[in-house]
Parts: sequence; C-alpha cells; structure tokens
Amino acid sequence: MNWREFQAMQKIARAGGRFISYIDEGASEPVVLLHGMAAWGYVWHRQIGPLSRTNRVLVPDLPGYGFSDKSDAFDRSLAAQAEFIAQWMDGLGIPSATLVGNGTGGGIALRMAVLMPDRVARLCLMNCACYDNFPGEDIVEISAPEVYRRVDAAGLIEVMEGILKLEVAAHDLHVLEALLAPYTTEVGKLSLIRNASALNTNHTTELTPRLPRLNVPALVIWGADDRAASVAYGRRLARDIPGAQLQVVPHAGHFVMLDKPGETLGYLAVFLNTPPAAMAA
Amino acid sequence: MLKEIAEYQARGEIDRVYHEIKQVLRVTGVDFPFRVWAGYGELLPVLWDAMRPNLETLAFEEAAGKLRAEGVRLAAELGNLDGLARVPLGESQAWQIRAALDLYHYINPKLLVMISAVRLAIEGERIGRAESRGEPLIELGIPEGMYPMEMVEEDSANPVISQTFDDIRRTLDLKKIGSDYRTLALWPHYLAPAWQRLKPIIQQAQHSQAAERMRRLSRELALALPLELPLSAQRIEAAGESARRALKLARQFEQILPGLILNMSLIALSWQPADALMISPFPAKTRRERVVISGGRA
Repeated sequence: MNWREFQAMQKIARAGGRFISYIDEGASEPVVLLHGMAAWGYVWHRQIGPLSRTNRVLVPDLPGYGFSDKSDAFDRSLAAQAEFIAQWMDGLGIPSATLVGNGTGGGIALRMAVLMPDRVARLCLMNCACYDNFPGEDIVEISAPEVYRRVDAAGLIEVMEGILKLEVAAHDLHVLEALLAPYTTEVGKLSLIRNASALNTNHTTELTPRLPRLNVPALVIWGADDRAASVAYGRRLARDIPGAQLQVVPHAGHFVMLDKPGETLGYLAVFLNTPPAAMAA
Repeated sequence: MLKEIAEYQARGEIDRVYHEIKQVLRVTGVDFPFRVWAGYGELLPVLWDAMRPNLETLAFEEAAGKLRAEGVRLAAELGNLDGLARVPLGESQAWQIRAALDLYHYINPKLLVMISAVRLAIEGERIGRAESRGEPLIELGIPEGMYPMEMVEEDSANPVISQTFDDIRRTLDLKKIGSDYRTLALWPHYLAPAWQRLKPIIQQAQHSQAAERMRRLSRELALALPLELPLSAQRIEAAGESARRALKLARQFEQILPGLILNMSLIALSWQPADALMISPFPAKTRRERVVISGGRA
C-alpha cells in the first residue's frame, strides 16, 4: 500500500479542538497503534491488515503529524497528546483499548497506562520514549524555532532523510519518502519543528517512580540496533513494569515494525491472544 | 518574474507585518498579494500600516461578506461542476478539502476589498471619513478550527500537479499560481478534475462579466470603508518605493481575484448549497476597545 492509498483510507474526528485523521479497520477488541516523531500512521501499514482480522485496529495521526491538524496553535507535548488520544477514544466510544506505541507514541501510551489506567487494557511498547532516552541530539537540533527561518521545507526534509536512513535498517526508500510526505510543505516543516520542540523528558521521567505499580499486561518489543535508544532501555522497562515480557528483535532498528514486520506481528498476535492471567503466570 | 517572500523568509518589518496580517485578517497564512508586496522593500509595511485601521472594522468584515455572498450568487448562475462530487475521496480528505475551501472562501473577498481600496487610493480617490470615532471593531486573532494555509510548492515533481499548474498558468495567463490552487494541490487527484470542470466555465464570456461585476462591487465597497485611508502615490514615493509599481501590482491583483473568488465558490458549491455559502464560515465578533497587537508605524 502506498501512502496516498493509506491517506485515502483515513477517517476524521475532532478531539480537544483539533482534527485527527485515523484508520479504523476490523472489529472486536480495539487496538490503537501510536506512531512517533518523524512519522505518521503509515508507519504501521504492514501491521494493520493482519491485525484487523482479529481486532479493531485504530491508527491515528497524532495532532501535528501526518494528515491531522498541523495548525501552529496548540501544545504537542506527550502530556497533551495523551489527552488528545483519550478524547479521541471518547469520541469513538472506546472506553479502553490495547495501546501499542513506537518512539514518542510509546511515551504517550506509557503516560496513559500510568495516568489513565482505566483507558489501557494492554500495553505494548516498541523502542519507545521512556526515562530520559529522548529527544535524541538530531531531534534537538531541529527543534530550535530559528530552524524554521534558516531552511526551507526541502532542506529540512533532507536532514530528516539523513536521520531516518540511520533509523530504518531496511533503507526502503519508498517508506522513507512516505514517512516524510506530510512534511514537504512549509506548514508541514513548521509542524515537524514544533513537534520536535514539544518533546520534553520530564513527561516520561515523572512516570518512572510509578512504573513498578503498573497493573496492566505489558509487552516490550525492542529493535536491537536502535542507535538512539539502546536495548538497555527496553530491558529496564521490562524489569520495572510488573509481569512485562521483553522481545529483543535482532537486525532491527528504531522502527522495528518496519524492519521486521513479520516478527513484530507474531509477537503482537500472541500478546493480544493471551489471556491476562496466563501472561502473569 | 514576481518575487515572493514566503513566511519563513520574513525578517524584521516584514515579519512584523506578516504576524499582524494573520491576527487582523483572522487567517492562518499570508496570502499571495502580501508575499509579492513584501518582495519590494518598504512597500508592504507602507500599504499595510495605512490599511490596517479599516481592516479591523466590522464595516470591512461586512463589506467582504457582501462580496462573498455576491460571488456565490454569481457563481451559482455560471453553472456547476458536474460530477466533481463523485470524485472518490477518503473521509478525511473530503473533510479537509472542504475546510481548505472555507479558508479561502473567507479570506478572498477580504483581500479583494482591501486591494480595491489600495488601488483607488493610489489613483487619488478619497476613502473613508476623517472623523470616524466609535467605529465598531472586530475581535482579532485566527478563528479556532480554521484550516492551515498549507501549500504545495509551485515546482512540484508530482506530474498530476505540475501538468495542472501548467494548464492553470496558460489558461489564466498567470505568472504564479495562487495559494488556493496550491492548497488544493495537496489532493492532486481532486484538483485535476476540479480544474478540468472549471476550465470551460472560466472560458465563457459570462465568467468574465461576472468577474467584472465583482470588481465593480469591490470598488464600491472599498469607497464606502469607514476610516480615512492615509495612502497615496506621494506617500508611497516618500517611503522610497515606486507608486507606479504599487499601482500596477494592485491592478493585477484586482484583475485576478474576482475570477478566483468565483472559481472557489464554484468548487465550494459542489459541497454546500448557495444559502450556506453566503454566510461567513468564520463570523467575527465585535470588540469594545481598540487593541494594539504590535508596534505599527501608521
């Protein structure tokens, strides 16, 4: 599926005064897939079809990202994004769901699990923002507001391509182009800068003392070759969250679901189909 | 070739004016005429600072509303874009196209009245009254929910976009593509059929006649603006800019905008009935006191 086909499948909802474009496929227990920085819902395109055979799969573009609201007038921090997602779920009549998050999307899922535990039925974190493992130096570099005035959209896309080529082990150029497609305009460029400058380590470090008290079935999947967030963070999460399982995926980077879609799907399918009691055992 | 200053390229006075444009005109982006004026040194600050007091008035908002409603009425008489509503679009795409059309449906009539006022003032017409205290003003600031003025670059590598832009330039005899078409190019498979359906209507004599009616109405509305417009050829020359060039640009914009308003209304009419489109998509509230939002030099 190319990114334009993906875009054409997106529905629309409003949450917290912003509009959110999202995919909604399948039925039964809801699973929400949350993307991270320098990405949008398309990053999950290889998981949506297979997962939707057994679950209702919901994939939002976070406000400020992809084809959701990119106006320059709102807070895009992890704290605000968690509120947006909760309100978006409210609008869709979803009291709780399995949250699956990659990168900063994982940080949002973690926040919701800690601060809104009733909204999270299960938690799956993939190479996610946690503790103080973000933002990476390259993201900090593009987060300065003056970057907006120094480079045009094409210039920033070039920088982002360089960053993503290091993150996506498979180096699939079509996927790289797709991930950056919503950011090729000046509005998209500014939105990317605002997204970067919204990343605040405090929004995950404040969760750390509460992780051992989490009471949710949890799976941590970690691409072993993530150059920004090493697998040590995955191991730490799996130790801190009671009962959490860890799956380290070799030869995969930050975007583990792009690099190893089959393995990622396999782990997710087992996780979704295992009764919580059996997981705890 | 017209040179434009994009928002991210704005510095100093241009940056100050661009900020004020968005707050005062209540719009998410800086549109084409401003970006071109900004390319000529002091011209934009001189024109903006002279125009700004009128642009804050409820009378200006209402004048634009009259022009918007007339544009919808005239567009509905020109025909309809058969089959455009059947172009396959996703739910989000359809919603966003409509939101983008609302943005331009709101701002374009304001731009035309403002440009007519600039043109008339440079030509020596007197606009507004010298004494006009107590004029109702509108609340400033970008309306909640207005679509961002996001645009595809003119030199897009997408073949559907580049072919459509080439055809628009040729058909309308334009040097540059306006913001409206560049925003609709975010959905190239919508823009292309929309343009193909617009093109034969644009080429009819009735379209030119309707555009001329819009132009005349805009000048009438501009002449009736409430506050004295302190703008003249001499004032522009005193700022070190060419009044002749300013007039030429104003005439060009006044030539282009009426047709553009009709064309966007024609597209919008494939989404909403005329009655709904005659109402401002972003009605302005009035405010009690004049608020200075940054340091203008008028």
